[in-house]
Amino acid sequence: MLAMAQLTDSAVPTGAFSHSLGFETYLSRGEVDSAASFAEWLRMFVAQQLTFTDALAIRLAHGAAGFEEVADLDDLLTAQALPRQVREGQATMGQRLLSIAAENVPGPWLDDYRARVASGRLHAHPALVLAVVGRNVGQRVDDVVAQHLFATVVSLTQNAVRGIPLGQNAGQRVQGMARTWVLTAVERSATLTREDLGAISPGLEIAQMQHERQRARLFMS
Amino acid sequence: MTSSCSTLPERDQPSTGELELTVARRGGVSHARHQFHRGALRILRPIHLDGSGQVCYTVVNPGGAFLGADHYRMDITVKEKASLLLTTQSATKVYRTPQGPATQDVRLVLGPGAILENIPDQLIIYRDGSYRQTTRVIMHPGASLVSAEVITPGWSPDGERFRYQELRLRTEVRVGDAHASRIFAIDQLRLEPGVDALDGVGQLEGHSHIGQLLVVDWRVDTELVDVVSGLCVQSGLRAGVSSIGITTDDGVRGLVVRSLGHRTEDVVHLHESVTNHVRHLWRGQGPLALRKY
Repeated sequence: MLAMAQLTDSAVPTGAFSHSLGFETYLSRGEVDSAASFAEWLRMFVAQQLTFTDALAIRLAHGAAGFEEVADLDDLLTAQALPRQVREGQATMGQRLLSIAAENVPGPWLDDYRARVASGRLHAHPALVLAVVGRNVGQRVDDVVAQHLFATVVSLTQNAVRGIPLGQNAGQRVQGMARTWVLTAVERSATLTREDLGAISPGLEIAQMQHERQRARLFMS
Repeated sequence: MTSSCSTLPERDQPSTGELELTVARRGGVSHARHQFHRGALRILRPIHLDGSGQVCYTVVNPGGAFLGADHYRMDITVKEKASLLLTTQSATKVYRTPQGPATQDVRLVLGPGAILENIPDQLIIYRDGSYRQTTRVIMHPGASLVSAEVITPGWSPDGERFRYQELRLRTEVRVGDAHASRIFAIDQLRLEPGVDALDGVGQLEGHSHIGQLLVVDWRVDTELVDVVSGLCVQSGLRAGVSSIGITTDDGVRGLVVRSLGHRTEDVVHLHESVTNHVRHLWRGQGPLALRKY
């Protein structure tokens, strides 16, 4: 449990603080400008991207029969991430997390994963790294999903606190609401199949694509 | 990852309509080498719209609409250096599907130097309709693909726009051939009006029409993505473009355009402007002349 706590802590230097994963586009459009509008965006993000990509990927990797299945999932996650900044951001964050995990929580598959990323054959994704670690330390899959999703919620909220900006207390209230959304995502992702991986809504993807062209940017995605 | 291709559409599933078309090039002109249809899918006589040698085939659904539990299968092959423009005679309409979703499995196979432009009319999905479309593309690294979709909600008696149940489009692009291929990109669309409020943030954001355009070709580069971004801005649609896919030393590159709008013709115009740009840039071919709008 503490291994997961270490890797999902917001102090882990994966670079998550520099990725808005699309919300900065809404910020620049003036559509996200308050705690309430950010909360609405975050609820959508948890129900879409975090449910259909991260949560589902963790479930599939946690139950993998061998590392080849994880490698296939790495390919699928890269292939389905159409917005370039999201694809590159997940790989950058995944690679940092993979190095930290391989060093601090060594276990089966991590060295293999790291070697194939180093050779350029795989890309790395934070959800897959956490699924492998969670599996190695005997953490239940629902808990791994919940921990990763909530960690992502925390980093996005902290980014919103700086970017919008919001007060720290308002940020905490959004995170409080998000606990329910994360639990819903844990349940819904259990009903999905491999074909559903990455099936998210068009408005979010367009915002993530438009971010590439935004003039003044605080975030890399 | 190279793997054997075990993802072909089911052939033993009973189909409402089936279509097979293989296009090859002979003497600089593309023509059908094999065609087969059964049930509620047919094709019109081929036409050559310009002097490029490209053949245009028009798919027709004589039944007029997709109904519950209908299953359609299309298997299109474009052989070495052949060029096919594939379109439809009219919009694809999905009506009520109480017996289960209407499904369509499409397989597109492109050989070395093959060109496929897949530009169907819009998909209209009506009240209480569910539709799932699975497209599997297997293309040689030297082939060229443009594939477009326009999705609109159908009329509903109470005037509400999004009363369909579920819409799923999944397109998987693989590079290689029928024996060995690797994944390049997956383009997905999932709309479930019963689960998500479609007007909301991240969904359709107040729009009614959705456009998706996929371009996969070894010549896609950042300059082209920049040009397409300019076309997106000019379109006035809520639109975005990005480079896509897993890049390896086989050289295949791609881009996707996604858009949200209020009128079919606006989305069609954006798709045509991008298609026409790459036609001119890569082949010196004139603009699409489907003359539907």
